Parts: sequence; structure tokens; C-alpha cells
Amino acid sequence: MIKGIEERRVILRFEDVALMADPSSRSKSVSVPLRLLGGELALIRVERQQQGTVLGDTCAGLEIPLKGEVSFLGKKWSQLPPDVANALRGRIGRVFARGNWLGHLSLLDNLLLPQLHHTRRPLAELRDEAAKLAEKFDLPGVPLGYSKDSLPADLQRAACVRAFLGQPMLILLEESSEGCFKEMMPNLINSIRDARNRGAAIMWLTSDKFIWRDPSIPATRRYRLAGRQLMEVSR
Amino acid sequence: MNAIEKPAEFYDRPLDGEAASPGMMTAIGQWTIYQLQGLIIFISIAGAAFWQSCRLLTWRRTVRAEFLNQCHQIGTRALPFIVLTALIIGLGVVFETLYWLRIFGQSEFAGSLLVIVLVREIAPLLVALIVIGRSVSVFMIELGIMQADGQIRMLDAQGIDPFIYILVPRVMAASVCMFSLTIVFTVVTLATGFVAGNALSATNLTVYDFVFEILTAMGPADFAAIPLTTLPVGYVTGLVGCTTGLSFAGITTDVHHLLPAGIMKAVIATLLISVVVTILI
Repeated sequence: MIKGIEERRVILRFEDVALMADPSSRSKSVSVPLRLLGGELALIRVERQQQGTVLGDTCAGLEIPLKGEVSFLGKKWSQLPPDVANALRGRIGRVFARGNWLGHLSLLDNLLLPQLHHTRRPLAELRDEAAKLAEKFDLPGVPLGYSKDSLPADLQRAACVRAFLGQPMLILLEESSEGCFKEMMPNLINSIRDARNRGAAIMWLTSDKFIWRDPSIPATRRYRLAGRQLMEVSR
Repeated sequence: MNAIEKPAEFYDRPLDGEAASPGMMTAIGQWTIYQLQGLIIFISIAGAAFWQSCRLLTWRRTVRAEFLNQCHQIGTRALPFIVLTALIIGLGVVFETLYWLRIFGQSEFAGSLLVIVLVREIAPLLVALIVIGRSVSVFMIELGIMQADGQIRMLDAQGIDPFIYILVPRVMAASVCMFSLTIVFTVVTLATGFVAGNALSATNLTVYDFVFEILTAMGPADFAAIPLTTLPVGYVTGLVGCTTGLSFAGITTDVHHLLPAGIMKAVIATLLISVVVTILI
């Protein structure tokens, strides 16, 4: 059960943040007023995939905002030493719009890599959790092959398995321009519900207007990145 | 208007507004500054990689696995090629040395000659060239593709520092494998030369005599020269490969453009280290 607002923890906070949402276009800065509590799902529509990537990177402390501060779990990215920042990024699960897989590792190794790197959990335990998540996302089992030999739909499901593995506190779903989550919407929504119930926050970045308007997605807030501001849109 | 009221004017552009073409000295100066900056950055990265490799926290299970994987790629998989090259060099250099020294009645110099020419100079250099061609070039292409494809950014976003997960294990593996492969190369070359020499009656030394000759010809400096040459050469060439790949800022199809300059830098670094060690020891 999702807790009441007063009990919930602030997962992500953008304090007076302005960022260059699309560096390639040299566009003007965009003001991003955003605060995500545990159990919330923010559905954000961006104009271009690149903007979603920049926003995701800013949440993970990789992109430095033009002004303001971004804090994750109460810690400001700008004030953290690199080792601590990296450890904190281990609490973020993310589906990337591109470059999801390291070509020289198998998909299973790719899935387990963040957890093996940041935790001391036994390999067998991680494999079991990955297998359960793979089942949730309609995969026949944990993927053992390489990304170059796999179907795009299976790769997307595997990317979701990795994003939800290890019970991260923030899950960033960065959707590519093909609207790749459509095929597995029910599975994804179930996993999102489970993650929200345990107190995680989810940010879903999409450039697909149909996804953004989809009433079956139980978003607590819907935003739109338009002009020079990220605007909350009431429904 | 006197000189105080009107300060001197310096034009870096001709009066018609066209940009002035820099003189030859300016161009040389700019090139020198650029190269020096590059060298300082490279030395800083080398220092940082060494510091990171000394930290226990760096060697997490993922980094250890990547190090072993790279040792397999650079070392184990290169073994057949190294052995084949060693067989050819053994037949060419060692056999010829033993044969001609015997003709001139100078067989007692076989050990010292082989140590100076083969063990100290040819073996580290040849192995370095093989590793550069086989593995360092792969670093450049592989990491260039990873950079262009967003995989490096993906690692960063997952809190996995690419410097620690990608660069450190590759550089350390290149260093360790360069040393190990040089030892294998030297042993196989000497053994091949000796066997061929005996089979074709080019020498009448026994195995014991041959090994004794080689070992007595090797002083402490010669023993030290092998690791002192191969470990830094592996480290620096591995670093050249990784930094060249990671600094790529183009599209995937252009990655092969990294190779000429990258390989040239790695070969020059190898020759420089080899010369410095020869002079110092």
C-alpha cells in the first residue's frame, strides 16, 4: 500500500534548477521545478529523445544544471565525492533510450553488472531475482545470449529487468522514439505498482503523446517539457 | 593628442577585416603547446590509473572479472601467435648465432650475445609490437564504439566508473600480459634455436651447457631489464589504446580513423621506453 504524503520520503528534488535540455540545438535554458516522493510516478513528455536523456542524466547527477541543485535521497549531487555519487547511482534503475548493452558481455552479465558492482549479494541470489523479474516481463527466462543476437522487444524487456533489479529507489524509464514500452505495458505497469508500493519513485520520460495521454498509466503527476519550462499538467 | 592619451594599438587582424594568417613560428608554438598539454594530460591519467590500481576498493568483483577477461584476451589468446613467432625467430636468430659463432670458433660468446640481442632487445620489442597490433588496436576500436554508442555514458549512469571498470583492468592486463608473453617468447625462442642448432649440428653444446651459458651471461641488470621494460611498455601502450578509444567523439562508422595515430603513439612510446631502459640499465 502506498503511504500517505506526510510519511513519504523525498526521493528526488530539483531546487530552482535550470538546464540546457537539448545541448545539440543550443536552445535556451529550461526551468525544471520537480519533486518526486516515494511511491510517485511522474510521466514526462519531452519533444525529443535527447531532452529525455538530458533530464535523466540530470536526475542521476551526470549533467550539471546551469543553475540550482539536484538532490537524490536528500544528498546534493554537486557536494558528493565521486565514490559516494557512484554508490548512490547504484540506487537508480534506468532503461536507456540507446546504448543499453555492453557488447562484450552476455545479456545476463549486463543485467547483473550494476548489482555485482555495488553490492555484495551472492551471484545465485541475483540470478534468482533476475529470473523472477524476467518471468514478470514475459521473458522465457534470464537472457543468456548477447545483445547482437537478440530481438529488440526482448532487449527492451531485459532492460526493464535490469532497471527493476535490486529494488532501486528511483527508476528512470527513458523511452526511445519508437515508443518501445507499448508491447509490454501490462507487465510494466504491474512492476511499477510493486516498486511504488515499496516506496520507490518512478520517472517515465516519453516523446510519444499517446503514451503520455494513456489513462491506464497510473501517473501521480504528468509533466510536459514545452518552451522554457517543465509544466505540470492537471488532468 | 599625446602618446599617453592615445594608447598603442595592436592589430591581430589586417585592417580590411580578414583574419591574419599565423606565421610559421606561431604555428610551431601552438603545435608544441598542444602536444605538451596532451602529454601532461596523459601523464596525469597514467598516474590516476596507477593510483586507482593500488586501491583495494577498485578491485571489486566486476573489475576483477574484467581484468581476468582481458588477461585471457591479451595473453592466452595471443599465445599461439607468440609461440609461432618465437619459433621463427628461434630458427632465424638463435640458430644463426650458434652456427656462425661456431664457424668462427667463438662459441663461448653465444650466451652474452643472445642475452644482449634477444633477451634484452628483440623479445620485448617484438612482443610489444604483437600486443599493439593484436590488442591495443582492439582497445581503440572497442572503446571508440562504446563511446559513440552511449555505452560509456550508460556505465556512468549506473554508478560504474568507466575509468575503473574499463580502463584500469585493461591497462593492468596489458602490463601483466606483456611481461608474461615476453618470458614465454624468450624461452621458446632460445629452446627452438638450441634444438635446431643441435639437430643441424650447428652447435655441440648440451642442454645444461646452453642454459648455463645463458644464465651466467645474464647479470642482475639483465634480469631487471625484462620487467622494467615490459611492465611499463604494457602499461603505457594499454593506456594509449584506452585513452584513444575513450576520447573518440564521432560516429560509430568513423572509429577506424583512430587507428593510425593511436598505433603510431603506442609504437613511439614502446621505442622510447625501450631506449630509456637500455640507457639506464
